Amino acid sequence: MTVLAEPTLSDVQMVVEEVWSSFLGAEEPLLPGMPGELATGWSAAVTVSGAWDGMISVEVPTEMAEEVTRRMLAVDEAADEDVADAVGELVNMIGGNVKSLMPGPSALSLPVVAAGRVARSSDAVEVCRLDASWAGSPLLVSVHVHRPTQS
Amino acid sequence: MKILVADDSRVMRQIVIRTLRQAGYAGHDIVEAENGKDALDKVRSESPDLVLSDWNMPEMNGIDLLAALRQSGSTVAFGFVTSEGSPDMRARAEAGGALFLIAKPFTPEAFDEALAPVLKG
Repeated sequence: MTVLAEPTLSDVQMVVEEVWSSFLGAEEPLLPGMPGELATGWSAAVTVSGAWDGMISVEVPTEMAEEVTRRMLAVDEAADEDVADAVGELVNMIGGNVKSLMPGPSALSLPVVAAGRVARSSDAVEVCRLDASWAGSPLLVSVHVHRPTQS
Repeated sequence: MKILVADDSRVMRQIVIRTLRQAGYAGHDIVEAENGKDALDKVRSESPDLVLSDWNMPEMNGIDLLAALRQSGSTVAFGFVTSEGSPDMRARAEAGGALFLIAKPFTPEAFDEALAPVLKG
């Protein structure tokens, strides 16, 4: 039976802050609220299927995706292939930790990464949304679930 | 000693290797594998002393890799480094014969705590 549970905003915020501080340095903290409009350059999503079904996604501007990649790899230049890898790994970590907070057992998908926005099915409903900023740039982490059709 | 790092993310493999250094394990030989199948081949060809493996990978995932290793008679020390650290996943890892599970995101201290009994013991 699928459980209709949702992660809280504070759960998601805690997970995202932990990922950011562990791999991107604590000297540049993640701040709540968006400093401006988000022009999504890269996005990535993972799905959780089982006792809890949901999709966790991350959207960031191109400049942030590149800076995240440079910091994660500790290099000066980041190729697109590495940016896709880094953004996918961010959502994998965030999604895996969100999965651990939800009822199980369930399975985590491999990340899907897109230059631009990842597509969601039309019946996906946003149940949690974290607007944040890092190094002056906006980012969005959201959780979507499928609402059962009313009959 | 030789350590095999299996993860489909090159970025994460680099972070794992860097964290090994930060945790005080700089002198070991490192071998990288892109997925469980690649890791299975490299355990046979490289004979590592320790495998650090992601769970969720294409081709062959980490728990299937561990099962395949044990089925083939390999007793190589094995630990997971994965984004999924729930009690259920930890129990599955232990039941499969893994020595530890390090949850991502991790710190050098978490690496040392898990690896010290294996590499310093």
